[in-house]
Amino acid sequence: MMSRVEAKKPSSCESEPLTSERVRVTLSVLKGVMTSCYGPAGRLKQLHNGRGGSVRTTSQSAALLTGLPVSHPVLKILVASVQNHVSCFSDCGLFTAILCCNLVENVQRIGLPPTTVIKLNKHLLSLCTSYLTSEACGCRIPVDFSCTQILLCLVRSILTSKPACMLTRKEIDHVSTLILRVFLLTIPENAKDRIILGKSVIIPLKGQRVTDSTVLPGILIEIPEVQLMKILPIKKSDSFKVALFCASLSGDLSDTGEGTLVVSYRVSLENAVLDQLLNLGRQLVSDHVDLVMCQKVIHPSLKQFLRTHGVTAIDRVGVALMEPLSKATGTQPIGSLASISPSSYGSVKDLGTAKFGSKRFFHLIPNEATVCSLLLCSRNDTAWDELKLTSQTALHALQLTIREPCVLLGGGCTETHMAAYIRHKTRSEPESILQDSACTQTELQLISEAFCGALESVAGSLEHDGGEMLTDGTYGHFWSVQADSSSVVNWPDLLSRCGCGLHSCRGELGWSFLRSPCPPFSPVTCLPPHEAAGAANNLTLDCFTAKLSGLQVAVETANLILDLSYVIEDKN
Amino acid sequence: MVMACRVINKRRHVGLQQLSSFAETGRTFLGPVKSSKFVIDEECHESVLISSTVRLLESLDLTSAVGQLLNEAVQAQNNTYRTGTSTLLCLVGAWSSAAEECLHLGVPISLIVSVMSEGLNSCIEEIVSLQVPIQNVFDCIDNTKTFSGLETLNVSLYPFLQIPSDTGLMQKKHDLKDVASQSLVIYSLPGRPVKSPKLFGPQAKVEADKNTSQTPQTLGNSLLADTHCRRSVLTHSRHFSRADNNQRISKRDGFLEQHSAATLKTYRCNDLLELEVGLSHGDDSSMKLVDEAVRLQYQNAGVQQGGRAVPFLFDISGIFTCCLPGLPETLSCVCPGYVTVVSISRTALIEELQKQPIRVVLVEGDLTENYRHLGFNKPANIKTVSESMKVEPDSSEELWTNHVLQVLIKFNVNLVLSQGNVSECLIEKCTHSKRLVVGSVNGSVMQAFAEASGAVQVAYITQVNENCVGSGVCVTFWRSIPFDAVDGTSRMAILLKTEGMNLVTVVLTSPVTAQMQTKEDRFWACAYRLHYALKEQKVLLGGGAVEFLCLSHLQILAEQSLHKGNQDSSGWFHNTSSWLASSLALYRPTVLKCLADGWHRYLSTLLCNTASYSSEFEANTFIQHHLQNAADSGSPSSYILNEYSKRKSGIFNSGISNKLEQIPSVYDIVTPKIEAWRRALDLVLLVLQTDSEIITGLGRTQIKSQDSEGFLFL
Repeated sequence: MMSRVEAKKPSSCESEPLTSERVRVTLSVLKGVMTSCYGPAGRLKQLHNGRGGSVRTTSQSAALLTGLPVSHPVLKILVASVQNHVSCFSDCGLFTAILCCNLVENVQRIGLPPTTVIKLNKHLLSLCTSYLTSEACGCRIPVDFSCTQILLCLVRSILTSKPACMLTRKEIDHVSTLILRVFLLTIPENAKDRIILGKSVIIPLKGQRVTDSTVLPGILIEIPEVQLMKILPIKKSDSFKVALFCASLSGDLSDTGEGTLVVSYRVSLENAVLDQLLNLGRQLVSDHVDLVMCQKVIHPSLKQFLRTHGVTAIDRVGVALMEPLSKATGTQPIGSLASISPSSYGSVKDLGTAKFGSKRFFHLIPNEATVCSLLLCSRNDTAWDELKLTSQTALHALQLTIREPCVLLGGGCTETHMAAYIRHKTRSEPESILQDSACTQTELQLISEAFCGALESVAGSLEHDGGEMLTDGTYGHFWSVQADSSSVVNWPDLLSRCGCGLHSCRGELGWSFLRSPCPPFSPVTCLPPHEAAGAANNLTLDCFTAKLSGLQVAVETANLILDLSYVIEDKN
Repeated sequence: MVMACRVINKRRHVGLQQLSSFAETGRTFLGPVKSSKFVIDEECHESVLISSTVRLLESLDLTSAVGQLLNEAVQAQNNTYRTGTSTLLCLVGAWSSAAEECLHLGVPISLIVSVMSEGLNSCIEEIVSLQVPIQNVFDCIDNTKTFSGLETLNVSLYPFLQIPSDTGLMQKKHDLKDVASQSLVIYSLPGRPVKSPKLFGPQAKVEADKNTSQTPQTLGNSLLADTHCRRSVLTHSRHFSRADNNQRISKRDGFLEQHSAATLKTYRCNDLLELEVGLSHGDDSSMKLVDEAVRLQYQNAGVQQGGRAVPFLFDISGIFTCCLPGLPETLSCVCPGYVTVVSISRTALIEELQKQPIRVVLVEGDLTENYRHLGFNKPANIKTVSESMKVEPDSSEELWTNHVLQVLIKFNVNLVLSQGNVSECLIEKCTHSKRLVVGSVNGSVMQAFAEASGAVQVAYITQVNENCVGSGVCVTFWRSIPFDAVDGTSRMAILLKTEGMNLVTVVLTSPVTAQMQTKEDRFWACAYRLHYALKEQKVLLGGGAVEFLCLSHLQILAEQSLHKGNQDSSGWFHNTSSWLASSLALYRPTVLKCLADGWHRYLSTLLCNTASYSSEFEANTFIQHHLQNAADSGSPSSYILNEYSKRKSGIFNSGISNKLEQIPSVYDIVTPKIEAWRRALDLVLLVLQTDSEIITGLGRTQIKSQDSEGFLFL
């Protein structure tokens, strides 16, 4: 036996990590990656392992950050909090990451002690959140669920912001409608005090045109044509009794444990298991089950037995479909081969088959239709992956909207509007903050400028082609204009609509460049609900809950990073 | 673990350059005249002969991210449509250069993306006018007319654009006169019997009658004053069905519009042979086999259904290819049933079995003792012990073989088809008891046998019961010539078939083993082209006509947007609030021009490949000449249709040799072609928008050793 002779390495300790050049450079690289992805004109990234693995073309934080190994603990903190946010809310991951980087960068430049900065950042954050959640908020639109316009705009905005989906305008409209339909199908018809949303399953159909995508109520299970032929014909009935197995029915011996099992040659373990399976089959037949589905494999002999008794058997359903199947049919997945309790059985209303592209599907139509399938088509794999993730994000955003029935203005307008509000608030009524945090007026001004600058920079990240960015002095919305047009006196000649599309260009709005000093003003609220709903044809919108959480996560993570004074690493 | 990130879009767009250089390798595969390539592996000195894009990409080292995306796009096209990959590759090259050109000219990336994709959309809408409907091709199918009749024609050398240029010039002078005199001609293709009554005679009159009886309502267009025009096909034409086609240049002059309306020929295709020749794209020998296969299927369907009430559908899944390398090319043929290869030692057995129909069992997996169905995990730690000394432990295989044989004897089964491997020992035993076992049978063949013989596929021989056994299978020799296969063992081909079986085997032979793959690929290319043409009930005029229309259309669009300014630009852009939307008008002509240049490059490659143009310059001059004519004519689509008819009539009149008058049309399939275009553009735009590569999981040192320049580390 060799014993370990290597001495333990001492742990390394790095003080004031943020001041190190390396951290600063890597943070700015990360920020560069995130910023360049942001928005509908964002640039894409090819994500691959450099050794011939699959290539993912994406501009989504969820795809970029998973499996992205970062070396420094500061970056790890940042990546982990963004990932955590994305796993809960799907949307606004890039926003969170960019805002956090901006905050860290801006505050560092000022050089105030971290405690003061953190305290003030917290105050500014609570100003933002209370404004966003208040009725007076000027960048929030209430959602009326009886009208699909705003919801469609929200979905469309999310799809548009991911160019790697490679959708044309017509395709965006098509997919948006489908996603909205999926969302509506998952809402139960007679909800009481609590709504429990149904399930939707996204089924890939790669190689087809996006416009071939469709939504079907119920669940589609892909099966090979050979198997389909064995299943057909399905007898007609009003209701089909269903058993769903999560245990394997393939007839292999379940875990035999360690050591060697000695068996006499006269005993066939395989036959013993098969007998057990056939007994199970007999019980299913005597219980008048019509349809047996199994997550894993069903033994061919059992399948044959079931078929000869008029029971349809479908195997290799896969783990992803188990929950929706259980929900749609009301079954308890069966995990053992011993006798089955009758309460485990469920039922479906109808069974059928369908063909899409070159694929064959078995179609289950449940009694209570809150489960549906979205067949998502895309020409190539990399665009399909992006489209799937984006569709899930959009669907999630719609679900979050039920909880908080409002949306935020997108296209950078919420950020600039909020910045204008904070500037105005900290100038006009700084007293409460000053009292609370025991800092000077100047410190407050510096930090609030850094905070607002960080917000405005996020909006500015939407621009990737060298355009100039403006904000108006009335609503505090975000506008963009072609570069080198500073000599032009009359802005309305160049501007058409603000970032979110709510306001069109009028002479009296009073524009100024985004990063230039301008006098603080109180941004005007101009969102009467009826007008908003009418003009909502082409608005760019953001999910309220996701953005609010993104804002909080970004500020809190920035505070956490600013607060770091030592990094101790175990080098062993 | 380190993440590396490389900026690939600084001044030159590396990704786009990679795309064009990859595409360059495949340019000789475009068009009907394909030059083969040898791909040689320097390490193991193996070489392959290839002549298709898919095989080329399979043999190239495409480990770079862009190369992989390209491969993915080509594979996706191939898996979905089995055709159009060379078009895809060539357009990828042409458009990546076009996109790069736009970048050089300083067009913002988002604008390139949106204008190019809308520009292609507009092309796709435009080419509807060159669609030829296919109707009832099986109505007049008869066996006196087979593909071999047209075999002597060399279609490949006459794609649309290759009218001898002097005739083109000559015709230009007579343009208006021709227009007037031809305005009432219905150009039903079989109705072109003027000089070839033997081939196309019988249907002509019938067809003309049909045309007149159809009166669609979609044509409320007042421009269509000329009611003599056969409208049934014009409904397909965007040219007439669009109420406000303000994007068309022809609108500026009412006369032009009317003129083009009058000259528009009604193309249609309702003759199978005509269609096949048009779709063969120069590969007559493959298309001849496809033709035979279709006819066989048609006969089978007729037999099955008795009458012909159900419309016949060409079922490509019922076609199977069997490659027999080493045999002379002339032995290629089409047989009803399943042709496969067995060892020559089975001769006596086959002779015995061919006397009467036999019963069959179909086995889904391997037919070996150790085979277990998918998903069955055999535990490793079980040891079987015998209690007495009498049983030898190694007899289990023999026990199993005997058991299988017993089952076969019990159900009187003489033929076993297995999808997987078959135990040698079992094959031996079965041969002794006059039973034939064939392994490695294709899934669709199994399916066909299951349907025709009534057999049900089983996983294990123990599952066999009376219901699983099929009957009525006949076994014969395909041809009684044995041949030496690559591995040296002598083998022979046998034919298995059942009454009413929906399976046709195309036997492909070639004396040169290296060509076998190519031959098979080419056969499938032709088969799938015909399949999609029949499935979609329409084809496009081929030979470069559609591409030429796209080119011409885009040039006109570019010119229009130059003059018209900012009117309808906002509709082209996703994000209407950005400054990009308002500056769209500024850049649109440039981008459209670049996209058109891509088509230009494609067409000149096509022309150069057909070998009648020695230089790219000559080809370009030729294209330029026709572009000018098309633009002058006011309606490119009618110009093209006109040229098409002129090509025939013009050649007639100029009294060129008799053989030329039979030049058939060249056709292309619709959706697969358009999808190839879209895929090509999607790929280019995807790469265009990519600004960096993120390489995960590589250590800093590994990248250093390659080229560390331009990498950033996190």
